[in-house]
Amino acid sequence: MEILNWMAKFGTYAVMAGILIFALGVVTLRNLFHCALCLAAALIGTAVIYVVLQAEYLAAIQILLYVGAVVTLIIFAIMLTEHLAETTIRQNNSQSPLAIAGLLGFVALLTALILKTPWPITQTALKAKVSVMGLGKALMGAYAFPFEVISIILIAALIGTVVIAKKDDPEERS
Amino acid sequence: MTVFGWGVFKGMLVTLKNFATSYFRKPDEGGIFTVQYPEEREKTIENFRNFPFLVYDETPEKIRCVACGICERECPPKCIHIEMETDTAGKPARRPAVFDIDYGLCMNCGMCEEVCPFDSIFMDHAFEVTAVPISTNLNKTVLDQKKTKVSAERAEGLVRHKEKLLKSNEYFREIRPALASAIDQKRKAAEEKKRAIPPLRHNASDGPVLGRESTGGQAQPSATQEPK
Amino acid sequence: MIRSIEFYIDMIFVTAKVWILDLLSRFLPDWMVVFASIVISSVVILCLGPVIMMYLTLLERKLIGRIQNRYGPNRVGKWGLLQPIADGIKMFTKEDIVPANADKIVHLLAPIVIVVPALMVFLVVPFGERMTAVNLNIGLLYFIAVSSVTVLPIFMGSWASRNKYSLLGGMRTAAQMISYEIPMTLAVVPAIMMSQSLSTNTIVLAQVGDYDLHWFIFTPWGIVGFIVFFLCATAECNRPPFDLPEAESELVAGFHTEYSGMKFALFYMAEYMNTFTLCGIAATLFLGGWQGPFLPSWLWFFGKTFVLICVMIWFRGTFPRFRVDHLMGFAWKFLLPLTLVNILLTALWQFTSDLEAWFWSILVLGISLWILVKLNRTFVPEKRKYLLVD
Repeated sequence: MEILNWMAKFGTYAVMAGILIFALGVVTLRNLFHCALCLAAALIGTAVIYVVLQAEYLAAIQILLYVGAVVTLIIFAIMLTEHLAETTIRQNNSQSPLAIAGLLGFVALLTALILKTPWPITQTALKAKVSVMGLGKALMGAYAFPFEVISIILIAALIGTVVIAKKDDPEERS
Repeated sequence: MTVFGWGVFKGMLVTLKNFATSYFRKPDEGGIFTVQYPEEREKTIENFRNFPFLVYDETPEKIRCVACGICERECPPKCIHIEMETDTAGKPARRPAVFDIDYGLCMNCGMCEEVCPFDSIFMDHAFEVTAVPISTNLNKTVLDQKKTKVSAERAEGLVRHKEKLLKSNEYFREIRPALASAIDQKRKAAEEKKRAIPPLRHNASDGPVLGRESTGGQAQPSATQEPK
Repeated sequence: MIRSIEFYIDMIFVTAKVWILDLLSRFLPDWMVVFASIVISSVVILCLGPVIMMYLTLLERKLIGRIQNRYGPNRVGKWGLLQPIADGIKMFTKEDIVPANADKIVHLLAPIVIVVPALMVFLVVPFGERMTAVNLNIGLLYFIAVSSVTVLPIFMGSWASRNKYSLLGGMRTAAQMISYEIPMTLAVVPAIMMSQSLSTNTIVLAQVGDYDLHWFIFTPWGIVGFIVFFLCATAECNRPPFDLPEAESELVAGFHTEYSGMKFALFYMAEYMNTFTLCGIAATLFLGGWQGPFLPSWLWFFGKTFVLICVMIWFRGTFPRFRVDHLMGFAWKFLLPLTLVNILLTALWQFTSDLEAWFWSILVLGISLWILVKLNRTFVPEKRKYLLVD
């Protein structure tokens, strides 16, 4: 049994290393399409980590939303803006020092948060299982407000796209 | 009345019916009409004509052809090659020594059959000529000569020599009965006519085919009326 | 006695696995037995997928042939039973052509990656009683999530080929698959609501009833959900009449135009395995999965699945291809509102008594269908009058 545990541990670390490598690929590769694929791989790796941590629901949602929807959208955007995929485009601009400063601040904030949180391991948390009823109650009870806000944002986005995509009236244009 | 989606169901019913009936309907009733070729064949109709062949009467020696060369001259793609046999004295024997037809050149027009005054060349029903291995088409000497030249052998592959072209009258009767019986009757009539009028100059030849007199009996352009 | 024999046949595969593991546990250490248990399940799935795919091609060609008044393949082996193997050999020995300007690595990766989700979804398909490879408690969500990844390798293949037909096909595939994923997911919701579980196994168990015939399809919301799910499944695996991504007459072969040999075969394989799993899930959700009287459970499952596959093939033999705007309109303007109404219906069904529920659901369904049909009426241009005629 120990060997199995050891193998699982090794596999997890391998997946983590993979995520880091792919994440590096996202920001360093010259070809935008490859970057998007690396992003997808990194996100799938994250989902695998979720599965290892027994958060299957989160893993499935991660794949469904990030890989299935977000990355697809990114790739769509890359394909529609053809010359962004060329390798001759500069990949940095004069705002990089500012960006680095912001990034460092964010990393510091994140580290502080991680260190501050006690990460309690309670029996109820360990026994927690995804049940459809629990999910429904959470969405309609505790998280009703964020749920509705997100719906409004999505509807606004939908209407916005429809307005943008709609053909202009020939009379209006003149 | 048109219900939304009704056309979809109607279309699906059509294909379902087609699927089901393909199992028990006969070909002419709308079932499967595929002919599983090597095992099953369509019945060849009598007037089907493919490559030419030579007819002999009882034995392959009694060949009808007299090597007159009319077909050789008339053949549009010039695929027939005839050489007349000569006896020891060098006299022409009125038999073909060589009779080659290049099936690769032949365009199946049937002109040879039309022009032959001796009812000797006819169009065959056999169409699977390419299926025959090359080596069987060649007689031994040719094979020995061209053992090294594969390409030459290939070129020779569709050339049919006399041995291969000769087919019996029975075979002819079998594949094209109406025409064959008409020709048989004509030949019989001609022979009887010849017997009734004794020959002026008897040249002691035994066969009716080779005699000049018999030629006289048949020299008129043969009325090869195609059976309907 | 009879009951026990039936039970034994029912459990034949499960018993076989247990027996093998039992045998192994006498010679091997514990961890090897656990490992072997995983290996057995995965090997079975890894063999099942391709074999099913191979014989689906044969079945499809046979049925389509019959529909078009031909025999299908019948030369290789009795009834053409060895035809898939001959095809496989042909695919293996074919030359592998990679376009000169192609992105070589991505071009190679795409067909390999596309098989992975197609095989992974087999994990949660309940092939029979106690025959789910992994009984995930989020099985259905897992299925939807993993099958949504299929868009990615299609993109990879279409982009890496550097071919305009491939690119167009890839774009169409993505647009179609994303559009149809939404009504498909929403069509599943009623089944989840009624069984109160995401696990495929529990959903099947929720359909137990008299003679095991308490299937979800025998309810108004069930039949609507099933039809929507099935149509979306047909669109998800790019089968006719939703085969715009690989429309031969316009796009050569869509996203796999530049693929040949084994790489093409992998795309093909993924498509057929998706067909199988989607039909299997449709059977699980609405047709009672492996539930059924008299016969062993796995036979019921495969029977239902193959009936659904045959219906898909029947579609292919019947319908011409959709037009692009019709395709999108059908998903967004017809199926999507219908699924939302259907979710409402399920709630109604839950909270009203039997007869009343039937009445209300038929009423609501009728009205909503009527409105949807009215709103979706295709634009028919006025008939032109030609002045010079007559």
